[in-house]
Amino acid sequence: MRMRTTSTDSTEPSPLFEDTSAGPGAAGYGRGQDKGPAGYPAQTLLSDPMSNLAMAYGSSLASQGKEMVDKNLDRFIPISKLKYYFAVDTIYVGKKLGLLVFPYMHENWEVSYQQDTPVAPRFDINAPDLYIPVMGFITYVLVAGLALGTQNRFTPESLGMQASSALVWLIIEVLATLLSLYLITVNTDLTTIDLVAFSGYKYVGMIVGVVAGLLFGRTGYYLSLLWCCVSIFVFMIRTLRLKILSEAAAEGVLVRGAKNQLRMYLTMSIAAAQPIFMYWLTFHLVR
Amino acid sequence: MSGFDNLNTDFYQSSYSVDDQNQGYAYGNTEDPYKQPYGQYDYSQPMAYASPGMMPQPQQPYTGQIFQPTPAYTPASSQSMYSSSFEDEPPLLEELGINFDHIWQKTLTVLHPMKVADGSIMNETDLAGPMVFCLAFGATLLLAGKIQFGYVYGISAIGCLGMYCLLNLMSMTGVSFGCASSVLGYCLLPMILLSSFGVLFSLQGMMGIVITALVIGWCSFSASKIFISALEMEGQQLLVAYPCALLYGVFALISVF
Repeated sequence: MRMRTTSTDSTEPSPLFEDTSAGPGAAGYGRGQDKGPAGYPAQTLLSDPMSNLAMAYGSSLASQGKEMVDKNLDRFIPISKLKYYFAVDTIYVGKKLGLLVFPYMHENWEVSYQQDTPVAPRFDINAPDLYIPVMGFITYVLVAGLALGTQNRFTPESLGMQASSALVWLIIEVLATLLSLYLITVNTDLTTIDLVAFSGYKYVGMIVGVVAGLLFGRTGYYLSLLWCCVSIFVFMIRTLRLKILSEAAAEGVLVRGAKNQLRMYLTMSIAAAQPIFMYWLTFHLVR
Repeated sequence: MSGFDNLNTDFYQSSYSVDDQNQGYAYGNTEDPYKQPYGQYDYSQPMAYASPGMMPQPQQPYTGQIFQPTPAYTPASSQSMYSSSFEDEPPLLEELGINFDHIWQKTLTVLHPMKVADGSIMNETDLAGPMVFCLAFGATLLLAGKIQFGYVYGISAIGCLGMYCLLNLMSMTGVSFGCASSVLGYCLLPMILLSSFGVLFSLQGMMGIVITALVIGWCSFSASKIFISALEMEGQQLLVAYPCALLYGVFALISVF
């Protein structure tokens, strides 16, 4: 039974019986711009009230479900904040990679701000980003698979194991850093995502080491790993010093006091943890 | 950070089909029933999943006008509403949304990596072409004796999901999952050439490695070119090409070993 009459059924003679053969019944629904009803009956979706009801119910269920997922997702993973960390471009990534491998010539390590919010990584090379750590992690897993493959030790399960163990070590490191920051009561604007980003920068050095080990054997591996370890140590110290230590100490003035000493020790231990992890996660890949 | 606060990321764009039907159903009654579910999303958080500003725009559900570029979130197929009479029904291919001309155009875009891509060609989410390419890839692997449809399927699913998340995070406008997987599927075409080459000649020598590297570069370059032009991301082509290269590298690994 048609819910609403169609005015364009000029070809049909006046029916003796109700026309129940209809599927989607709107003649030309949505054809062209649907700026208004404009003479065609856009309402005749289906000629059956039950399926109308079912469809409305289904679509409202779907939109409710979506809304719930969106709300919960936003609570756990702040998507807008994450977008900030991915606002990078090729020049930034190139410069940052160079900085990770050779941080000795760079002078200004301050993060620039724009009216109290940090500037996007595109415009400031000192800002942390998440593109390099994420890509570094995935590349590390693939390179590890490649390394295992060349030694005929590859199985797909081992790939999963490499990935999960690296991820777990990353989580442990970030949690330990958060805990120690909390214990030392540092007033810093380092967020969790910042810490994840900083901890993820070591994957670059690891990849360089493993690739060098694949190409040049153990000596290549050790040499390049040594170089990358020292570089990441210097990088972390110079970056974290500005964030964790107080203003005066960060400028190089020697400030005595237990608090600053503790903060200095914290910075050094975070930086020193990087080479340890780098070696721990790669030495079994190069034989 | 200030520039990023007002974005409307359409996370679940492919389900706009539901909204079209909802809109269509309530269309005849009043404007309110279909505006009301979207009124509550009218806050400035970037997580508003439907921008109210977008709703009054003509949402063109897929109709007989297959050559008209539609917005990226309009489904290209089965939600078309046609009259009930048999003569007025469109041909089957049109109704299914399989448009051979567009498929051919997109294939040509992939095959000419140096040609500048047109941003609007990816407006229709078309999974027919990629499906054909995936099956062809599996078939060429089968010819070489590797029965690995499962790996192809799994890796493409994970890769598409990863690219979808990354592109949504990196671009101003969002991208729907169907669009991302459609582009990645089309750019699989050179990989099919590689694996069919690998049926006849072994790919493990130096020549094979060079050809493999070339093909991976070709695939990821085309994919990144299409993504860049469709999503208007400046200065990020290499950044998009790198994860595509990782994904196609895994496919190449399957072909070679």
